[in-house]
Amino acid sequence: MGDKNKKSTLSSGFRRTIIGIVLIVSISFLISTYIITQGEQKNYVIRESDNVLRTLSNNIYSDVENYMDISRLIMREQRFVYFLKADRKYVDENMTNDARFGIMDVLNATEGVDCVIAFREDMRKVETNTVSYEFDEGLINSLSWREKIYANEGGANVVLNCNGIARRRDGKPVVTVERAVYDTNSQKRIGILMVNIAANVFQEMLNQLSYNNICIVGEDGTFLAGNEDYLQYYTPEFANPKIINKNIKIGKERMLLSGCGVDNLPIVIMRVSQYGTEGIPYGILYVLLFLLLVFVIMAVHMGMFIKNDITNPIYKLSESMDENKNTGNLKKIDIEMPLMELDMLKGDYNSLIDHVNELIETLLEKEKTVQRAEMRVLQEQIKPHFLYNSLETIGFLALDAGAGKVHDALETLGSFYRNFLSKGDREIPLSREVQIVKDYLALQKLRYGDIWDEEFDIADDTKKFIVPKLILQPLVENSIYHGIRLKGEKGSIKVRARMEEDVLHLTVRDTGVGMTRQQINKILYSERNTKGDIEGESFGLWGTIERIRIYCGSNDVVRIESEVGEYTEIEFIIPERTAIRS
Amino acid sequence: MDRKYRVMIIDDEESARKLMRAAINWDELDMEVVGEAASGIEAINVIDDLKPDIAFVDISMPFMDGIEFTQTATGRYPNLIIIIMTAINQFEYARKCVSLPVFDYMLKPMVRSEITKVLVRAKKKLAESNDFWEEQKAEPTGEAAYESNATELIKKYVGENFTDSKLNLAFVAQHFGFSSSYLSRKFKQDTGKNFIEYLTDLRMKKAITIAKSNVKMYQAAAEVGIPDPNYFSRCFKKYTGMSYSDYVTSKAE
Repeated sequence: MGDKNKKSTLSSGFRRTIIGIVLIVSISFLISTYIITQGEQKNYVIRESDNVLRTLSNNIYSDVENYMDISRLIMREQRFVYFLKADRKYVDENMTNDARFGIMDVLNATEGVDCVIAFREDMRKVETNTVSYEFDEGLINSLSWREKIYANEGGANVVLNCNGIARRRDGKPVVTVERAVYDTNSQKRIGILMVNIAANVFQEMLNQLSYNNICIVGEDGTFLAGNEDYLQYYTPEFANPKIINKNIKIGKERMLLSGCGVDNLPIVIMRVSQYGTEGIPYGILYVLLFLLLVFVIMAVHMGMFIKNDITNPIYKLSESMDENKNTGNLKKIDIEMPLMELDMLKGDYNSLIDHVNELIETLLEKEKTVQRAEMRVLQEQIKPHFLYNSLETIGFLALDAGAGKVHDALETLGSFYRNFLSKGDREIPLSREVQIVKDYLALQKLRYGDIWDEEFDIADDTKKFIVPKLILQPLVENSIYHGIRLKGEKGSIKVRARMEEDVLHLTVRDTGVGMTRQQINKILYSERNTKGDIEGESFGLWGTIERIRIYCGSNDVVRIESEVGEYTEIEFIIPERTAIRS
Repeated sequence: MDRKYRVMIIDDEESARKLMRAAINWDELDMEVVGEAASGIEAINVIDDLKPDIAFVDISMPFMDGIEFTQTATGRYPNLIIIIMTAINQFEYARKCVSLPVFDYMLKPMVRSEITKVLVRAKKKLAESNDFWEEQKAEPTGEAAYESNATELIKKYVGENFTDSKLNLAFVAQHFGFSSSYLSRKFKQDTGKNFIEYLTDLRMKKAITIAKSNVKMYQAAAEVGIPDPNYFSRCFKKYTGMSYSDYVTSKAE
């Protein structure tokens, strides 16, 4: 698992990716929601302001038009016209009063006119409200303020505060409708008429509509009506029929300031509105929220799918493979896989296992064949026929020369080699192995003299038992070289074979110098790779034990008993070959 | 040289020794086989008496193998020609003696013509060098100062070291700075015994005491400094007139 930890796992990678995606989507949801609501709110407020301003502007304009109509009525009032047209020398207090009454008669039917002021061509004037106003006589006699009025040739102008020639004593602003008056018959100009509209006309209008977030201002910045707090935001750019929107801050709140001039009138309307919740497009937001929810659910589902259907099965697959590796048992994996692809992976692995097992089997078979072939080559090299024929020839020569002992020895040697080679078989019946040992001992006696007695006790039912070739001979050789010869006294070698519960027990016992516990352990427990330690000293015995262990597939096939100076007994315990193979 | 060259055969197989003795025409080579040994141990004990010029040494022998014998002998007998005999499957052994100053190696089974060839070469070499054994005889000793008590010292030394299986005349002579020939003569003069007889007697005396405690022969042999039980057995019989096992049984009764 050490390696797996260094790299991120598939599941944790997916988990991170999915969490990342959910996070990014949520954040972009919040941002887009913010942008959309902000935009929609602003648009909403602007639209609202727009409506209000247009309506109000229309109202104000039509109101002012009303006053223009009134001025027209006054213009036709007989007493007033008489006053204007009268010759200068006839104009007196009475005539002026008559004119005033005439005007008052017209005004009786209306409201909101604060004062009417009229001038004759000679600048004699009549006014309906003498108390509240003060006049700038110097300015009155100048021509400059009249030029604009005359330029309109009888049309009405709307200005603020009587063009400056008169002003209310209490400083309240008025809106003035002014025009030149012409004689209907002669079309000769006969005077100027000014109708002052009180500012509270507008206030009443606002009150009626219950607008409290509006400020009506003259285009010179004079406050006319509404919320005077907003006056500070006035700039001349608003004196324009087009609506201008601005963001302002009142306290800490962000507000929208919208403003426009009323058509052709020197009046500006300003409106301040809050960005309320009314503009939020809840429908869109709910849809977005729903989409987000759907996405999150899908992501979670995706994660679960990857965990349950991909990574967990992969872990299981890997565990099974690991188990194969650890046990060394190349078994196929038998786990249900939830996905086609993983099933394919499992299938591939299983066929790989099959292939490997096949390869191993082929390799083993090949190894066996090679060994058999090598044995045959070896045999071929020894040329047994040549050897046997030579031995026979020499045997005859010996017999012919009367050397019977030589003939016997040659015969024994021939027999030894015939069994020793055994046509290249690696496994032979026990009887043949016993014959090898007998011949071997006979030949060794010729070399070393009569220094031992031998005894064979081979049960009949063991004679056909198949054993690996040359398992007894090395034991006997060991008895001679590492037992009896070292003792310097005549000894004995006993070979015994017995069947016990279908298992062969082969025993070789000699009365040699024996072995110490240490020597026995060295032979029994030396590992294959440390065989250098026991080279020379009983290496043949060690090698034979190894061969039998491999043949039987078990380590528990040998028993060595010994007493130093007395005896050594080595026993092999070999099961039936068929039992080993299965 | 006016004498025949002396050959010694060291092999644990009696038949091999006999074959070697019988198969070669020694007279023709102007040589004679002066003795045999069945092990390196026996060879060490008898070599001083045999005084060989050439030794055939089997490489694999029990108790003291050919390599160990060669190592011991080359120090003590620098002129001795050693011919190693080895079987074909003893390659590991053969490799070990590459570093030893041996004259030649011969593969077993031996072929007469090859042996003869090697012996001819050996003869040539011997003819070129001095006669080692003669030199030993002729060399006068310069250690006269020690002469009076030398034998006593040697007896004491042998008494302390006789369990060392490699102890022999040549070694003691070297140790005390005598020629072996002189030592041999002087020792016989002073004690009435050959050095090797004296050494063997010491060992046998000890063997007899050991035998009384019913110890196995091979163990007794190792204990007294003759770890080859076959040679020990012969020495014991010669000394006591009976075999070791008989002696043990007789003492037990």
